[in-house]
Amino acid sequence: MKNNVSHHKLKLSIKNLLILAVATAPMMAISADEAKTKEVKPQPQAVVAQPAAAEGPSYRNETSFPKIASGKWTGKKLADGQPDISGHWSNTIANHNNFTDPQGGIPNDPAPRRTPLGKREDRAPSRVSDPADGQVPFQPWALEEVKKFQVGFHNPTEPKYVEPLARCAPGGVPKSFYWHGYEIAQYPGYVVFFFNNGTRIIHLDNKPHLPEKIKLWNADSRGHWEGNTLVVDVKNHNGKALFGRSGEFISENGTIQEKYIFSNDGKRYNYEAVFTDPTVYTRPFTVTIPARLWTYEDKPNGWHFEARLATHAGKEPIVEREERICTENNGGFGIGAARPK
Amino acid sequence: MNTAAIKNPSWFKKIGLTLLLLTHVFAFSLVTSNADAHDATKIPRLANGKPDFSGIWQTTSAADYDLEPHSNRKDAPPGPGIVEGGEIPYLPKALEQRKKNFENRATDDPALKGFTLGVPRGIYYPEPFQIFQRARDLNIVHQFGHSVRTIHTNNTEHPEDPNDWWLGDSRGKWEGDTLVVDVKHFNDKTWLDRSGNFHSDALQVVERWKFLDPNTIEYKATLTDAQVFSKPWNISVILHRHREKNFQLIEDYRYTLDYDQYYPPKPDKK
Repeated sequence: MKNNVSHHKLKLSIKNLLILAVATAPMMAISADEAKTKEVKPQPQAVVAQPAAAEGPSYRNETSFPKIASGKWTGKKLADGQPDISGHWSNTIANHNNFTDPQGGIPNDPAPRRTPLGKREDRAPSRVSDPADGQVPFQPWALEEVKKFQVGFHNPTEPKYVEPLARCAPGGVPKSFYWHGYEIAQYPGYVVFFFNNGTRIIHLDNKPHLPEKIKLWNADSRGHWEGNTLVVDVKNHNGKALFGRSGEFISENGTIQEKYIFSNDGKRYNYEAVFTDPTVYTRPFTVTIPARLWTYEDKPNGWHFEARLATHAGKEPIVEREERICTENNGGFGIGAARPK
Repeated sequence: MNTAAIKNPSWFKKIGLTLLLLTHVFAFSLVTSNADAHDATKIPRLANGKPDFSGIWQTTSAADYDLEPHSNRKDAPPGPGIVEGGEIPYLPKALEQRKKNFENRATDDPALKGFTLGVPRGIYYPEPFQIFQRARDLNIVHQFGHSVRTIHTNNTEHPEDPNDWWLGDSRGKWEGDTLVVDVKHFNDKTWLDRSGNFHSDALQVVERWKFLDPNTIEYKATLTDAQVFSKPWNISVILHRHREKNFQLIEDYRYTLDYDQYYPPKPDKK
């Protein structure tokens, strides 16, 4: 019998949570300068072990990216009229190590960097594109919590300092967009994101949002197309996923207005979203995340494009994804971890 | 009649009448086919003509309590079971394990832990699942755990010597209007119901999905596992379409419940 990922069997106790958090934090720190990483300790997440040459175009660590204007869609359309943007996508700058300095490594990382960090302006811009300082406009209490998280993350003394993805929680909004590659599939009335960890169903049929009391990791999404732009109204967020290893967050009172602006060649999109939350922020702010399409012409890699070519008698290359079920969802930290004896 | 009409001086009159009659017949047939299109027995289809199972589905059966016939008990309503012939043909050693599982079901059922349900259990588990269908595949999103299973319908084959998966590897083909799916390469971590029926990683499931009417699917499956069962056996359930207004899946990532309380930071808990 083979397993695709290791199966942790840990009892749910704070002690073990901490052991795992402590054990995984330094390993995860390796991916701080992900693109430059050549030697990688064995761990299931976040790191591409292949040399750069095998990875196709070097989109994965862009330091800048093109602006895409909202406007007409002149590309291919599906039978139901939606712009055809189905396929395998991934962000182009970095992972969830650091929300506002995406290529700057995990804040307060005690692990020595393999390469010097260099100047801030040589790295990708903050994912916060407004305000201009690139920082989330936190209220004082929330900023204090974020700073505490950025210290606690490296030596968690409380469960709240364990980044929820390390427990295999869904990536949530917006972290899922810079956590591994993902597939976008389209159906009449729906755009569906099959993320590495979690699934997000965007309803295009104008049905009302779920009742306010229902809060979800991936929130509740209502969308429509305006030309090349998918406009999505996000409510019912439970705020639990955090934005990354730098600890930024939204609360369950927050709402998000998203725009997915696709280039007419169908090869890129920019995610531009306004986050509003009177409980946590002093003003609304804008998040921008660039993404690109991956096709059979790209070599699969273990982070941006976790796919393989299907076995079949025909000649055309068919890309397919494998099952994405985080093992820890099914052991260790889940409900069953506390098995009564 | 036409010949007679030509011989007759007033043939054009009769031709006119014939045309009129034909027109009526034609119009009537149009009405009939139009009625067909709105017939409740006409199943939805994709553009390529294959049955379109898109929608949100759920069984009303008590199958998940116990696949085999059973009387009521404290933790289950009575049920006739859904196993063809009544009983699962366990090998003697496996039957011992099944009995142990039954005794420990209140703690050992993987579903209680929020684990992925597996195949076929996810289909008759009493939570809805949504089918998203294209010509090339069906993606099944289960509300429970929000796990995703892809059934490929593009003439692709099982990968050679792959990993074991929670939901196996599913390859479907059409036999008329029936979708026949071969599923294998499972792990051995899922149960078949909450009474402790189980399988090994040698499980193979062949499913048959067929519309009974536009809002009802007949789901049949044959389970083969030489390590656990003495011969293949069959189950059958009916799946109903959710037709409540604005019905939708509500994600149920229940394995997070034990640590939900720690996130996000709250203003009153500094």
